[in-house]
Amino acid sequence: MKNFNRRDTLKLGAAAGLTATVPSHVYADTLLKVGAVYVSPVSEIGWTKQHSLGIEAIQSEFGDSVDVTVLDNIYVPQDAERVFRELAAAGNQLIFGTSFSHSTPIQKTAPRFPDVAFEHCSGLVHLDNLGTFEAKYYEGTYVAGITAGHVSKSAKIGFIGGFPIPDIVGPANALLLGAQSVNPDITCSAIFLNSWYDPGKENEATKTLISQGCDVICSMTDTATGVQVAGENDAWSIGYASDMSQFGNGKHLTAFTLNWAPIYVQAAKDVVNGTWKSSTRWLGFNGDVVRMSPFNDSLSADVIAAAEKAMSEIKSGDLHPYAGELKAQDGQVRVQAGSVLPDQEIRGFNWFVEGMIGNLG
Amino acid sequence: MLRIEALPEPSRTMALAAPLIATGITILISSLFFLSLGFNPIDTLHGFFVQPLMSLNGLSEWLLKASPLIIIACGLAIGFRANVWNIGAEGQLILGAIAATGIGLFAPWQDSVFLLPSMIAGAIMAGMAWAAVPAFLRSRMNTNEILVTLMLTYVATLFLSYLVHGPWRDPAGFNFPQTALLPYKATFSVFDHSYRLNSSIFFAIAAVIITWFFLERSFLGFRMSVGGVAPNAARYAGFRSSTAIWVGLLAGGAAAGLAGVGEVAGPLGQLSAHISPGYGFAAIIVAFVGRLHAVGIVLGGLLLSLLYLGGETVQLQYGLPSAIANIFQGLLLFFLLGGNFLINYRIRRIR
Amino acid sequence: MPPRLELSGINKAYPGVIANDNISFSVQPGEIHAVLGENGAGKSTLMKIIYGAISADSGEIRCDGKLIKEHGPAVSRGLGIEMVYQHFALFESISVVENIALSMPDRMNLPALSAEVRTISKKYGLPIDPNALVLSLSMGERQRVEIVRCLLRNPKLLILDEPTSVLTPQAVQILFETLRQLAQEGCSILYISHKLDEVRTLCHTATVLRGGHVTGRVDPSAASASKLARLMVGHELEEVSRPATQKSKKPLFEVRELRLAAANAMDTALQNLNMEVFGGEIVGIAGVAGNGQNELAAAMSGETVNSDPDAILLESRPVAHLDAGQRRDLGFGFIPEERLGRGAIPPYPLSENALLTAHRQGMTTLGFTKRHRAKDFAAQVIRRFRVKANGPDSIASGLSGGNLQKFIVGREIHLSPKVLLVSQPTWGVDVGAAAYIRQTLIDLSRSGKAVIVISEEVEELFEVCDRLYVMSDGKLSQSIDRKTANIEDIGLLMTSGAEYDYRETNIA
Repeated sequence: MKNFNRRDTLKLGAAAGLTATVPSHVYADTLLKVGAVYVSPVSEIGWTKQHSLGIEAIQSEFGDSVDVTVLDNIYVPQDAERVFRELAAAGNQLIFGTSFSHSTPIQKTAPRFPDVAFEHCSGLVHLDNLGTFEAKYYEGTYVAGITAGHVSKSAKIGFIGGFPIPDIVGPANALLLGAQSVNPDITCSAIFLNSWYDPGKENEATKTLISQGCDVICSMTDTATGVQVAGENDAWSIGYASDMSQFGNGKHLTAFTLNWAPIYVQAAKDVVNGTWKSSTRWLGFNGDVVRMSPFNDSLSADVIAAAEKAMSEIKSGDLHPYAGELKAQDGQVRVQAGSVLPDQEIRGFNWFVEGMIGNLG
Repeated sequence: MLRIEALPEPSRTMALAAPLIATGITILISSLFFLSLGFNPIDTLHGFFVQPLMSLNGLSEWLLKASPLIIIACGLAIGFRANVWNIGAEGQLILGAIAATGIGLFAPWQDSVFLLPSMIAGAIMAGMAWAAVPAFLRSRMNTNEILVTLMLTYVATLFLSYLVHGPWRDPAGFNFPQTALLPYKATFSVFDHSYRLNSSIFFAIAAVIITWFFLERSFLGFRMSVGGVAPNAARYAGFRSSTAIWVGLLAGGAAAGLAGVGEVAGPLGQLSAHISPGYGFAAIIVAFVGRLHAVGIVLGGLLLSLLYLGGETVQLQYGLPSAIANIFQGLLLFFLLGGNFLINYRIRRIR
Repeated sequence: MPPRLELSGINKAYPGVIANDNISFSVQPGEIHAVLGENGAGKSTLMKIIYGAISADSGEIRCDGKLIKEHGPAVSRGLGIEMVYQHFALFESISVVENIALSMPDRMNLPALSAEVRTISKKYGLPIDPNALVLSLSMGERQRVEIVRCLLRNPKLLILDEPTSVLTPQAVQILFETLRQLAQEGCSILYISHKLDEVRTLCHTATVLRGGHVTGRVDPSAASASKLARLMVGHELEEVSRPATQKSKKPLFEVRELRLAAANAMDTALQNLNMEVFGGEIVGIAGVAGNGQNELAAAMSGETVNSDPDAILLESRPVAHLDAGQRRDLGFGFIPEERLGRGAIPPYPLSENALLTAHRQGMTTLGFTKRHRAKDFAAQVIRRFRVKANGPDSIASGLSGGNLQKFIVGREIHLSPKVLLVSQPTWGVDVGAAAYIRQTLIDLSRSGKAVIVISEEVEELFEVCDRLYVMSDGKLSQSIDRKTANIEDIGLLMTSGAEYDYRETNIA
């Protein structure tokens, strides 16, 4: 029934801009038609909200000469493929897929429309007309983990993820590694919801983690539920994608936010100029895709300084979150001291580091 | 004052008029609703009902989406007629899809022409096996099949999740929770490469014909219907309720399993954590919109499919928020199902 | 003093049927007025018009001299007209007082209402426990709930539609006492029935209907039964004839030490029952409702399966472990007391109701039904048993009770079973049809078949049976030859069960 129960908010109008609510033929001199498919409803914060800000950036860049069509809450592959085909057939020159759930559908659609530029966030397969872009979330979780390490009294932190995919498993590891850089005894319990958008399950998962003694919660889903429930239960929280401090009841340590706007705008410009080529972008603090939101006021200046120092060291390359020695949960050494985890293994992360509690199931 | 009276016999006029009345009321209310939100009701309704069908691709998508709904609803209707409430077609569909994918990817006879037929057979059997659990429990221990089938759907979803995250994960798939794509021989052929509609549509046609004969002409179908309408009469005549339970659940399981292979070997081409947009649940609505009748189910399936496509079209064309499209879909289904009330009852004014 | 109720020129037509044709009569205060007629004579339509549940095409209704212009059930209740329907409208899973409160929205104070119910039930000799759950009540007790519900409103006119069709003889006596007491207090009573004896003992006047119009106005206590019958049926009733017969050497049907535990608190356990029935005879089972007849009928028919195969023998063959269908395969037939929903499928046409048990008569090939065969069979039954129906496509629930019973009896007899079990063959069936059904059962037995009749009407059993058993508290008496038995002795055997005393005669 989920299919017939798709949710939305009236935010869509704002997110997609006025043009989305007006038939396209009104504008004669349209420079660019852009389509975007969101995996969940657009809400005030979260993953999809950040993508909608990317679309808005295109609109403010091009104004009335861009025509945008947006579909939200598309996550079932059958439907996603149809939607991509429809957007391409409707003459959109640039189409964004915004979820790993869109992988196969967008990969199946792109070859059929060789003149259309497809951009896929979280994608890994890139084709002649299918580019991919992704953020280095783990840089953000590592820095957030440093603040968590300072505030956790129980030396237990909790992590909630949508799916146990490398882009979530890796950041969970980095969160713990950041915390352990402050207090080596810290552990991190992880729960996966197998859904990006399930506030009910997320609520329960958060409460479970808190009842197990976790006093810092980081949730990588498309809602602020984790932050909110943590705040209600007097636990610290770390936001994801958007600044979620308004939900944290004063306990929001920081958030690692995602800023896709430069990527969206650049892709649009390239298409308009005829210079678009499919490429792979993987950016973190460098490139301004990952940012840290303002740290909690109650954190001491020392803690903030430590976090900011880590940030600048990551930027400069002096610090690598996955620097050796790294042990897996079973104690086996996976990365020798003095070396770092290679990029391709980061993007294929499918194991937990020592100190993580839980499994990838 | 208004008064509700049961009619001595179901009204044949109302049987035909009720859906029209329901549609009329829906159009009226939703038009006011669209107007109040600043959308042109004529454009919006056109976008819902006409525009999706104005292209060959639209027609292809329409049938593609209706086909699993119709197949599953046919199987469910056989059980529902006998008061066997299989709410877990979603889980049976998942099991069918799992079995089909397992055979398609791992069977040793990869090059045989029997690869796809064996996937179909495997999917049907897997769906039936999943439905056999509640059938066994109900007929032997009188457990409630509504709960068991529903709970087994969760089990199926978790089992699917385990497979695509674990042992069946595509080794070349960058750790994404999905299987490798099925080989060409393990998929239904499309009629034209521009469109997604594939040969599995013939299974929907076959399901409708078989269901019609079973429900309207077979003696077993008659016996099961008696068990649903008048259980004491069935016991009086010596019609076994266990037969109705088994056949009712297995028919639903087989149909859902068939729909499952239709999805993985059709538009999906692989297993992932999300293989059904709730077809197993939506088919329950289709079965009741179709009044548990084979021909009605075809209409119900086409309608639900169209409503879904139309919801996307109005979002694409007019920027109608998807929530508003859902309200419209809900209104129509509500009035359609509610309108069936008029077949058996009348509302009279008394003073 | 104007009449309590005065009808003049009531007409009501349905497509193809004139239900009421120019009907006029009046009822005085304190009068018990019978409306007598066969099923389909238009009695129920007329009562619904009086109550305002349906409206007449033309004609006038006056209450206490005042013309009722805008009629409806609410108007009736305002005027003090109350109706007890043939089929009760009670919710089974809630208590008596809760049911009553539901129909009286202004009386939601349950303890006070309970006290009032107790007072009324004591005053009128209608013992009911306000806190009992309706599902635990017998039909007679449920009827009392309906009557008490009406009495709580101090009615001036009480309409009862076939009130005794679900009652035992003793319960009928209790009801009559109540009605007489009410009439003495000035309440008028409209008593709808087709039972001549009852009307003759209870009613002051009778209006006889046939085919929608009035055929007579009589003083029932003065008129002879045959005169009433002639007014009702239109011709003389034939006496049931019971020719001599030759019993088969071996019994066709035997019950041996049949035991059955009660499935729930409402059921009666069967205790070591023994019975044998020979070909060529009719054997009756008498008893007050609720003494195990339903359980015995289900055990004999196969609706309840027994683990001991030898508890029931059909032509000396153990069958107690077989289900109803398997016993039918061996030549057993059964007519249950519930017509709608057990003997027949209410929303289905008669042809498919024929298929229900007659499918063995070559109505299926390769798993498909031969619908024309089923239609032919239904048409034959309709013709042979004079069922008033619009052909094999008529919907079962659209038939009157008596006609549906004729169809079911006809269907089972048309299948020529070796052993036929009939439960309450003439419940709610009009006089003419009842006589016809009784004669048909006798004729079947005289053709060498074994017939078992379960009935609460002892007179009926005496009329048709060769031998009798009496059932009481889950036990069967010895076999009694009808020739040597008398009704009083049977009545004594029927009341020997302890439960009976409590349930039906122990009036608080």
